[in-house]
Amino acid sequence: MINAVNIYKNFGKNEVIKGASLNIEKAERVVIIGPSGGGKSTLLRCLNLLEEVTSGEVILDGKLISPPDAYLHEDILRLSKTYKRLQKEGKSDEDIISEIRAKRLLKNGEGFAFKRALKETSAKYGQDINVARRKMGMVFQQFNLFNNMTVMQNLVYVPVKLKVLTKEEAKKKAENLLARINLSDKKDAYPSSLSGGQKQRVAIIRSLMMNPEVMLFDEPTSALDPEMVGEVLSLIKDLANEGMTMVIVTHEMGFAREVATRVLFIDGGKIAEDDVPEEIFSRPKNPRLKEFLSKVL
Amino acid sequence: MLFEDIWKILTNGELMGYYFQGFLHTIIVTFIAVGIGLILGFAVAIIKISAGNYKFMKIPAVICNLYTTVFRGTPVALQLFIMVFAVFAIPGFKPAAAIITFGINSGAYVSENIRAGITSVDNGQMEAGRAMGLNWLQTMIRIILPQAVKNIIPAIGNEMIALLKETSIISMVGSTVGTLTFDLNFASRTAYKTVTNYLATGIIAAVFYLAVVYFMVFIIKIIERKLGSNDKRGKHI
Ligand SMILES: Nc1ncnc2c1ncn2[C@@H]1O[C@H](COP(=O)(O)OP(=O)(O)OP(=O)(O)O)[C@@H](O)[C@H]1O
Ligand SMILES: [Mg+2]
Repeated sequence: MINAVNIYKNFGKNEVIKGASLNIEKAERVVIIGPSGGGKSTLLRCLNLLEEVTSGEVILDGKLISPPDAYLHEDILRLSKTYKRLQKEGKSDEDIISEIRAKRLLKNGEGFAFKRALKETSAKYGQDINVARRKMGMVFQQFNLFNNMTVMQNLVYVPVKLKVLTKEEAKKKAENLLARINLSDKKDAYPSSLSGGQKQRVAIIRSLMMNPEVMLFDEPTSALDPEMVGEVLSLIKDLANEGMTMVIVTHEMGFAREVATRVLFIDGGKIAEDDVPEEIFSRPKNPRLKEFLSKVL
Repeated sequence: MLFEDIWKILTNGELMGYYFQGFLHTIIVTFIAVGIGLILGFAVAIIKISAGNYKFMKIPAVICNLYTTVFRGTPVALQLFIMVFAVFAIPGFKPAAAIITFGINSGAYVSENIRAGITSVDNGQMEAGRAMGLNWLQTMIRIILPQAVKNIIPAIGNEMIALLKETSIISMVGSTVGTLTFDLNFASRTAYKTVTNYLATGIIAAVFYLAVVYFMVFIIKIIERKLGSNDKRGKHI
């Protein structure tokens, strides 16, 4: 469903994600764990391009949603000035391509033909990011409910605006979802009057309003008071049981173990371990993962 | 002596006519300049902020930065002279040129107020809108701006009041009775020719200015109260 290929992400000179590849299949529940500052949020946000990737490609249902990455296309690399320069040195085609890739030699201004090839690729295989994002629900640590709208407006505004649902459908769906989380009486309240747990549950059903194929959670319970963590986790577990595809960044190890079909350990901008929860928690191999688990468990 | 002079002016139909004409012209000049300033300021703020999202807005944003730097960095009086006697040196165009200058000058300040108001809205609001599939402009218009308005209104109110007072230099480019350059300030100078008491002529002009400012503050307060009640509803139930 989501394919992330060789993702790099720099913030200025700071390399935060250094070549991460990740494949998420339908109905998988991938939990991302790792030390603070390791790049968990950044990687997650690269999946729906809230962070523009520096290089690498993100593919959703077979469609390219990031700009095409020249490093991944040999035919495009051959059109670059860098390739032509190295060719004059008499090296073999294979050597040149691998050298460009290994040393990430491309600069701005690789020529007109090169740029046109990138454009053509994106026209041929690409999908508009705004359309792609409708299929990917995102839940934030800070909830990010629209503060200028009531709970009901938060739920119906975007799906109606983007014509995912009609007004009537949206209203009905919103009422059902509110009933499900026992917040029907709050539909005309503004976010500022809700508790953290209530806000986060509304944020989750707001994502569900768009009928997403996959949900991305970035530490959904980290900003909550301890007594509210349970209600949010149990809603997420319910979605898991219904077969929703999910990617979850969390520090809740018990929850990770319970809900995950797969766990990624991210450290220093790389996926350092990728396995089923039993293996990760019972038989960790990576020394950094062992150290991390000994601290958090 | 002072009260006597004030009384002299108040009972002099011709002088009071000047004052009312000046009063009216000051309001008209301010009103139009505020309108120009708001439209220009809003456009400039949006251009500057959108440059963070749309690459093709980079060059317009540089031009806008130049504009705000120049117009906030030089005296209005200087701008007024350059615009009236050089840029728009068209016969009969003097009042319009002056109003445009005040508008453009105000736009530079307003744009910064609007920009500050927009950037003060939590970035998570934009992210949430974008993550659901709204584009930048849709999120800006429906999510960010409604929240920014509350932060912007007080600053714009202050800017309007400052502009009203700034228009008092309009007669520096020359003023004749019956044209828009004949403002409150110049009315009081005209009255001085008959009643040679600056304190008396000035006090009357001041009362007129104060009346306008008071009215503006009143309107701004009403708008603020209306907006304030919007998203806080439910908090005090
Ligand atoms: N917008 C940004 N601009 C600059 N640097 C950033 C930005 N976002 C993240 N970083 C840097 O990237 C690194 C990884 O951050 P990230 O938020 O992905 O870590 P994390 O694993 O999610 O940590 P945490 O568990 O604390 O949330 C950090 O060093 C952070 O300072
Ligand atoms: Mg994080």
